[in-house]
Amino acid sequence: MPLLELHRVTKRFGGIVAVDNVSLEIDEGDAIGIVGPNGSGKTTLYNLISGVYFPDNGRIIFDGKDITFLPAHERTPLGLARTFQIPRPFGSASVRENVAIGAMFGRAKLDVESALDIADHYLSIVGIEKLAEKEAKLLTPLEKRFMELARALAMKPKLLLLDEVMAGMNPADVDRIIEVIRRVKDEERIAVVSMVEHLMHAITRFAERVVVMHQGKKLVEGKTLDVLNDPRVVEIYLGKRVV
Amino acid sequence: MKIRSYKPLLPLFLIYALLILIAVAVPGMWQPVAFFMFYVALGQAFNIFMGLTGYVDFGYVAFLGLGAYGMAIAIKYFSSLGLISILLGILLAVVMSILLSLAVGAVALRLRGAYFAIATIGVNEGFRYLIEGVRLWGGSEGIVLSGLMRRTFGRETANLLSTFFSDILIIAIAILAAMTTIWILNRKMGYALLALREDEDAARVMGINVTKYKIMAFITSASFAGLIGAVAWTLKLTYVFPEDVFNIHYTVEAIVIVMLGGAGTLLGPVVGGLIYGVLKYYLSVVFPGIQLLILAPMLILTIIAFPEGIVGFIKKKGKKSRISYYLR
Ligand SMILES: Nc1ncnc2c1ncn2[C@@H]1O[C@H](COP(=O)(O)OP(=O)(O)OP(=O)(O)O)[C@@H](O)[C@H]1O
Ligand SMILES: [Mg+2]
Repeated sequence: MPLLELHRVTKRFGGIVAVDNVSLEIDEGDAIGIVGPNGSGKTTLYNLISGVYFPDNGRIIFDGKDITFLPAHERTPLGLARTFQIPRPFGSASVRENVAIGAMFGRAKLDVESALDIADHYLSIVGIEKLAEKEAKLLTPLEKRFMELARALAMKPKLLLLDEVMAGMNPADVDRIIEVIRRVKDEERIAVVSMVEHLMHAITRFAERVVVMHQGKKLVEGKTLDVLNDPRVVEIYLGKRVV
Repeated sequence: MKIRSYKPLLPLFLIYALLILIAVAVPGMWQPVAFFMFYVALGQAFNIFMGLTGYVDFGYVAFLGLGAYGMAIAIKYFSSLGLISILLGILLAVVMSILLSLAVGAVALRLRGAYFAIATIGVNEGFRYLIEGVRLWGGSEGIVLSGLMRRTFGRETANLLSTFFSDILIIAIAILAAMTTIWILNRKMGYALLALREDEDAARVMGINVTKYKIMAFITSASFAGLIGAVAWTLKLTYVFPEDVFNIHYTVEAIVIVMLGGAGTLLGPVVGGLIYGVLKYYLSVVFPGIQLLILAPMLILTIIAFPEGIVGFIKKKGKKSRISYYLR
């Protein structure tokens, strides 16, 4: 049984079809990359999976349970976690508290004390343990991304959705974060879906499978290198060969 | 439970102890201190909702008003039970406020931010017109209890109830409100509220049932308001008039106190309530009639200078020092 199944999911905003009849299966332990030009529906897909929006058509099954219309806060404890393309820290809380909130209300469901204790562990995994006491709104955009990753990991998800989490990171950071994600994925058998739009070398190193979105539709899906060299994919990326 | 997380109660209880000492030891200070304590308690009660959730309830005084009526009704109809009627009044005040908060919360708390604030403006006015219009609970003549209380409780007891006992109860309510606040802050509920105050949508995605926590804070805050109305108004003044208690003026005062001291902090409403109460009291002694002209600009300037409130400001400055253990 797949961990997540999308069955012909569609989401419209007025006249725009942001996600158009998309079906997708994700298994435990998968590492999937999602690429696609701006506005192709990647973030909306995440919003449908995490419950920010409900689809107009189609079903979403997670871990055998139909979550299509389940409120966001009820699906998170089932084992979903995500980061936001534009980081959304709880600004006046400290970085440690931000991560602890993830541990309290995600699948981990820890009590306050244990959540605050374990937060430091996740901060050091992503390499920002020095920022633990800092007010989250004072972080740089990049530091906020690291914090969001730590917060999502602290939720102990079965499925982790990363929305351009590596954007703006230098190559050394990208390598380190990929290493972290792969390790957590292997240790805890979680599935990771990542959008790494502008970082093709990252996607080739991280993803085993790639899904290409184009104008709301799933254009291609398959093994990473096959997909990135698919003529249709090359074409939507302005005719350049990607790899 | 870690003792450390309850340390911030220390400075707060010091302030209370000092106030009580002044009230008892300095002749003529009992009434002024009781006056300050009303604002301290009001700030604490309102902070549990406005401070912790970030929502502004312009109809807040309706909970105080209902509480006042709860106490009045209990005394009026059950005074034959003696002092038990006062207990009954306290109970009724809380129950009525909770019921109203459930009704308002179920509808209005689905709205975000400013929409919530606008929706709540009508609640208070609505109640006043209801009572006056259909002549509920004595209509605009209100409920006057002084004669009844003297007759049934005896002159001595009635006097003691309104000049001493009601003040003690207000102090007790302020203490209870502080303990409730830190209890909430230290629990998951406190972190859930912190998250939803900052970003409600992100909080939902993090697994937080935002509606549940908002309503819990709303009910708690409303119960304290009901208690304050019952004790500081009906029990102390021995009468209730709709235009006195359903008066938006008190909501505005509560907002000012919370902002002045620091929204969402434990000590903030105490500091804010004290500053506000002291200024209001002494300005009206020194500059009778024009006190508001002086008070309003002073408050505005303070809030501009300390946008996060006085306690919020100190908290930020003292982040790295030991003060931080005692501030929340
Ligand atoms: N809340 C919304 N209201 C209206 N339109 C929206 C909304 N969210 C997304 N859209 C539209 O849906 C389409 C898909 O947007 P989406 O953000 O999912 O794309 P994306 O693939 O994540 O793009 P990017 O690479 O720029 O992040 C776009 O045309 C966008 O304008
Ligand atoms: Mg996007």
